[in-house]
Amino acid sequence: MSIHTPTTRQFKANATAAMADANIQHAMRSTGTGFVGKRASARAALPEFDALRDAARDMKNHVLSHLDLYLAQYEAKVVENGGHVHWAETAQDAREIVLDICRKAQTKQVNKGKTMISEEIGLNEYLEANGIRPHETDLGEYIIQLRGETPSHIIAPAIHVTVPEIDKLFRETHTHLDPNRDLSDLATMLAEARAVLRAKYFDAQVGVTGANMLIVETGQSVIVTNEGNGDLSQSIPKVHIVLASLEKIVPTLDDAATVLRVLARSATGQEMAVYNTFSSGPRRPEDPDGPEEYHVILLDNGRTGMLGTHFQDMLRCIRCGACMNHCPVYQAVGGHAYGWVYPGPMGAVLTPSLIGVEEGGQLPNASTFCGRCEEVCPMRIPLPGMMRHWREREFERHLYPKTVRWGLKGWALFAERPALYRLATRIAVAGMSLFGRKRGKFTSLPLAGGWTKWRDFPAPQGGTFMQQIKARGR
Amino acid sequence: MSARELILDRIRRANGAAPGREAATAAWMRGESGAAPRPAQGASQGAARLDQFEAKVIAASATLSRVSDAAALPAALADQLRARNLPAAIRTGSDSLFRGLDWGGIERSEGPGRIEEPVTVSRAEFAMAETGTLVLASGPDNPVTLTFLGETHFIAVRAEDVMGGFDDLWPAWRARGLNPRTINMVTGPSRSADIGQTLQLGAHGPVAVHVFLIGG
Repeated sequence: MSIHTPTTRQFKANATAAMADANIQHAMRSTGTGFVGKRASARAALPEFDALRDAARDMKNHVLSHLDLYLAQYEAKVVENGGHVHWAETAQDAREIVLDICRKAQTKQVNKGKTMISEEIGLNEYLEANGIRPHETDLGEYIIQLRGETPSHIIAPAIHVTVPEIDKLFRETHTHLDPNRDLSDLATMLAEARAVLRAKYFDAQVGVTGANMLIVETGQSVIVTNEGNGDLSQSIPKVHIVLASLEKIVPTLDDAATVLRVLARSATGQEMAVYNTFSSGPRRPEDPDGPEEYHVILLDNGRTGMLGTHFQDMLRCIRCGACMNHCPVYQAVGGHAYGWVYPGPMGAVLTPSLIGVEEGGQLPNASTFCGRCEEVCPMRIPLPGMMRHWREREFERHLYPKTVRWGLKGWALFAERPALYRLATRIAVAGMSLFGRKRGKFTSLPLAGGWTKWRDFPAPQGGTFMQQIKARGR
Repeated sequence: MSARELILDRIRRANGAAPGREAATAAWMRGESGAAPRPAQGASQGAARLDQFEAKVIAASATLSRVSDAAALPAALADQLRARNLPAAIRTGSDSLFRGLDWGGIERSEGPGRIEEPVTVSRAEFAMAETGTLVLASGPDNPVTLTFLGETHFIAVRAEDVMGGFDDLWPAWRARGLNPRTINMVTGPSRSADIGQTLQLGAHGPVAVHVFLIGG
């Protein structure tokens, strides 16, 4: 099976397996605390942070409701700078455009900066099937490419991989080096990867990057990184391809600044990422470096279908990862359990939009509705509300298993009839307190095995909630 | 219909054709609506601004030294190279700042970055005290590859080019009429936490960044 084939339908089984996987559990324990604390400190250090989030939300809402106009202006500016703009309706269209550019450049190798869009369209497998070798250069992406995996976090793709696993992987892959070399120091491992990848930057004719933003005012694409690999991938080869989804538009340099002020703080807790690079077009006649060709591929892949629906707000997402860093479900199961490209709360909302509710409909159930994702989202995306919409659609389309549907229907039968509900709870409470009187708790209960398997259920005391409220005279 | 037309058509149908949409985007592009708050952190002035810039550069794991004027740059660089046990050979672009100086015992070559560059030197067009960020403009004066291929990257910036933050950077940038192929904002040396979730400096870009603040 292709690594790109979604396993979203098996979310429950994936999650159970992840919770039993010692490596994933080890990695997840250290993840959450780091990102969460750093974001909190960054927020506390900037009194205007929440007001900037409001401004970022309002700016993006304005963009989305004028997206047709801004895209046309952006395109004109890119062309004015000497670049090319390609429009891709589907993942397949985008893959073919990339392949076509690579063939014209007569390259057998492509260097890649980190891009989630490339994961979304399954670019690596497609290029390989067509005789072109893609080299991931972001360290985390490099590690998972060698392992034949997809990212498990949108900004820390190899977060699930332990140090001993990387040690083993490097020894198996970097066979030109002494097999008995000492890799016990993390710095040595980093230096080894740096040296191996440094050579690759000079081999490829084509570099592919994503884009954090596309600026209408200047026709620039923006990448935000810490490693510098994206910049090397786009500066050294003859051709630079920018893979961007079409909602990445921001109108002006000032609007880009608003996003940058909330992006890194929300992602890693940095005030600024190390590299924020604004690129416009191919090298100029006087330039001693930079690509000779500059292409932007604008990917739709279902996004225009979200405009004007309950899910439009999701198009404000700037891919910082804060929602998954703060999500109790993500922290328990890791990113791979979600079964496709985008994990965590943002993935639970976006995935059904992009690959359909039949495939992705399980993911919006991966939520406790604790609301932390919405609380920390720099773009104030109402993620829990949208997950609730997906659950409703999944139910309407009869996609839930029969037991769940019957259970919900049975519940609704009582919940919609208050008198019947109160009668039933009175009988249940009376029965349970009678049978549980002796021990004060139950170690097993019919229909509640999921609870009593792990902990006892206390026997009710003093009547139902409604009876107690009434007795207090409220 | 082309993919472009199909996509734009779907967006138009979702967004409607209310009158005044063009006017709304034009007003936004002129900066007449949607003003974001201006953080106090990006509005420091004078000596306090330079102090803030220095503190933020250091917070980003880079280092900084102040030199009285451009003429003092070669000696300051020579000191740094010795202290860091680096060769007395640098790679720069054709920036007039570098061309106009007597480099003494330092061998200076001009051009884009090569696969091994122990020491590169660039001049930043601007800097921001808000975050300790250097803002470089690519071109023959300061080739973009020097920023990423140098193992140790020295960046010179004039004190008068240190801005408070984004809010005065972009107006100053536009006023100077700059239009390079890339704008490179650099905040400290490259880094990665992809191995063992432990932050390490020196991923693919420079392992060390040192800033010379000229006239500060």
